[in-house]
Amino acid sequence: MILGTAWHNLLRWGDTVWRALASFVELLSELLGFGSDVDVHTAVTFRAIADAVLPETPALGAELGPEHVPGGVAIDLDEFVITYVDDGFQLGLPHVGAHGNVPLADPIAHALDVAALRLVDRGEHTSEPSGDRPVALLEPGEASPRAIRNAAGTFSKLSRRDRLRAIGLLDEFEITISPVDDELFEFDAGLVGQLVVGFTEMIYYSEWEGYDAFTRPPSERAHPNDPGAVQSWRQTGYPGFASGYAALRGYVGTDDGPLGDGDVWTTIDEDAASTVRLTRESGSFRENDYDTSGYEEPYPE
Amino acid sequence: MVAASYDVVVVGAGGDGPVAAWKLAEAGLSVLVLEAGPFYGNEQWPKPQEEPGGETSSSASDLSGDLLDEQFTTREFEMVTKLLFGPADHERGFWFRKFPGDGAILQCAGVGGTTLHYTGCHPRAYPASIDEQGHWPIDYADLVPYYREIEELCEVTPAPVTAKEELFFRGAAAAGWDLVDDLNVTGPGYRPQPNAIRQPDPKLHVDEGYDGDFTYPDVEGDTLALGDIAGNPHPRGAPYEEKAKRASNVSFVPAALKTGNVTIRPNAFVTDVLTETHVGDTPTATGVRFRDTWSGGTERVAADVVVLAAGAIETPRLWLNADLPANEWVGRGLTIHFGDNVMGLWDADDLRATVGKDTVDQHEGQDIAARFDYPGLGMLQTVGTAPGIGAVLGFGASASGFAFQNDPADAPWDTMGRLAGTTLKRLLSEYRRTLQVLVVTDDRPHRRNGVTVSPALADEHGPVPLVNFEPSEGDRKRRDELARIAAEILREAGASHVHRSDSPPTALHVHSTMRMGKVVDEACEAYDVDRLFVADHSALANGVGGANPTNTGQALAARTAERIVDRHF
Repeated sequence: MILGTAWHNLLRWGDTVWRALASFVELLSELLGFGSDVDVHTAVTFRAIADAVLPETPALGAELGPEHVPGGVAIDLDEFVITYVDDGFQLGLPHVGAHGNVPLADPIAHALDVAALRLVDRGEHTSEPSGDRPVALLEPGEASPRAIRNAAGTFSKLSRRDRLRAIGLLDEFEITISPVDDELFEFDAGLVGQLVVGFTEMIYYSEWEGYDAFTRPPSERAHPNDPGAVQSWRQTGYPGFASGYAALRGYVGTDDGPLGDGDVWTTIDEDAASTVRLTRESGSFRENDYDTSGYEEPYPE
Repeated sequence: MVAASYDVVVVGAGGDGPVAAWKLAEAGLSVLVLEAGPFYGNEQWPKPQEEPGGETSSSASDLSGDLLDEQFTTREFEMVTKLLFGPADHERGFWFRKFPGDGAILQCAGVGGTTLHYTGCHPRAYPASIDEQGHWPIDYADLVPYYREIEELCEVTPAPVTAKEELFFRGAAAAGWDLVDDLNVTGPGYRPQPNAIRQPDPKLHVDEGYDGDFTYPDVEGDTLALGDIAGNPHPRGAPYEEKAKRASNVSFVPAALKTGNVTIRPNAFVTDVLTETHVGDTPTATGVRFRDTWSGGTERVAADVVVLAAGAIETPRLWLNADLPANEWVGRGLTIHFGDNVMGLWDADDLRATVGKDTVDQHEGQDIAARFDYPGLGMLQTVGTAPGIGAVLGFGASASGFAFQNDPADAPWDTMGRLAGTTLKRLLSEYRRTLQVLVVTDDRPHRRNGVTVSPALADEHGPVPLVNFEPSEGDRKRRDELARIAAEILREAGASHVHRSDSPPTALHVHSTMRMGKVVDEACEAYDVDRLFVADHSALANGVGGANPTNTGQALAARTAERIVDRHF
């Protein structure tokens, strides 16, 4: 489904309102400690994303151990995701953002509010939106509760589960943003879902947290590659990147065929016409004659 | 230096362009290869993402294993960001392509192209996909001599078995499937991957008790350290050409440079194909215009023959953005091996009984070393990943929403859909006891699927590509059947929980957008432009049955190079 005219208008109206609000809130937030380059609405929305996709999970602490409690917010995942999506895609046009990159964090945050409003409008939410939720996402001192309530959109006011439901609605429409006045930049809102769920999960479970600063030039980045240095590695048991493993068990082959040779390490299938084993050497594939005349389409077009 | 003219200009140094360049240069022709991305592991560009470096490379002595070691860190997030399709400059993001839904196109930029993050898998097409499906104007037998040539240069051999492959083979055997030991596969069964990765040093066998370094020359060949998707520079310390993974930058690029007839210019994005047209005649390609991605400057270079090898998205985009004749099949017929992921999770006790230890340890071994073939349906392959790539591939996207929104009560899987929140964290806490199986479908070419260019949005290289892909009913049925087989294999291997992603269309393998028989003839020369050839996966007439396409794309490129020499030199 393409986003209808009414939604386009709502998005644009929303944009206007947010821009007005944002400039006011930015002023406030600068006084209260937020960086001037990240809009409070955007910051709160991405915190709400990280909190829904990789939440703090006290229940897993009891079940699996204390290392499984902290989530994305504990390691400032939301702040990096904003940087990543703002730097991530480019048109190479110098008047569009830094280095030609198209800043996407703000429009993504607004798209999530549109999706959240649609969820609520359809009555598919399971608990009522509440201004207390975004306030609870920020630490005391990051911004005043009043400023957060003013800046927060519907998405961040939803429960964690409802935020995910709202993300699920994104596939249904397209988003139009205007990085410059005369050019419309349309993209399928499914990209938003991919960035806020897929990429967020990849970043969290990757080595990202271990860098001194990922934004440094590649030749100057340092990473300890210590399994204890990355929160998600402590949660997955991933041991870090290795130069090698002495993990070879052999090669699969049969007693009679060309695959497999040398000493047998174990047997895979004794019931096969020719017993399948793991052997020390690989043998080689057969350059076989082939006959396709009996080919039948399992599912014809 | 780039000269004013060459016998042949090849657009793109990905998986296939270097094969064509090598063959053409062996025949004595002068060849310029223009590549949009950087050249890693080359002394002309010591910091390829931070400064423009040199202009061209024409000698294999420029290739440096030390630089490749430094630049290919194997850190998954960094390497994915580094290799995906975008400009060399690390401060600039990916080049934008529009893809439907929450899928994506996974292609790389740089010398080596998408083989930089491919997993070395080099099976041939299923013969029936060429000879029986009605798409190809040539026979499978026409490709066989070229397969042999490619397999020899890429050193394709049966892949090694670690715990995760043993687990899969046991499951497949228990599910009643037979081992296939053929190169030309005509029936279903399981196999070791024919991988273009040198086999591991025998001293890495679990019984040898090896506890030394995994660096060259102590260890030669693969080191079973995973990391193919992240570039695989192993063994560390090895000269460039002794790296285990025979991606095209390690196999065909040195071979091409050693002829003395090939110049490679990276950071050069081709934006136009130049033609000459005599009255009443079809146009003839005379060269290309390209743009330096660092300086923004544009240059022209003349050639007697132009070969497009920019990949199945950029080759049709270039055609559509250049002033070339309209052809209703340019860009159309896209196949992407409409894929899915099915994952198994094991209890420690069950693993101990099956593979003799409490964990699968998917981070050990080659990324993809075991497969299941089913001509007519496609294939399955085990995938070991580091946890970040595993999370995004297996759980980051789904066409059926989040798992909590689905009730797969009667399905062969316990859960289906995208995962997030507590469920995701609980599952990833079992990372070392999980194994994903990638479902790769023999999707069929349809005209509605393909690449067009945006009438409204252009980047520095012209209107951006818009990709459309909607699987057919047959594609969905084939994929469902493969997913069912995957679930059964995992269950038979003892998995206690099976999860299906129901992935949205995502383009891991991209082909058939400039199809032989539709856009190009049997020699892969364009019907509508003389002396313009296509030598990449876009010339494939279909998705080769769902088998990994690299071998077939390279074999066809080798054949095309011979036809170019025959026809025009």
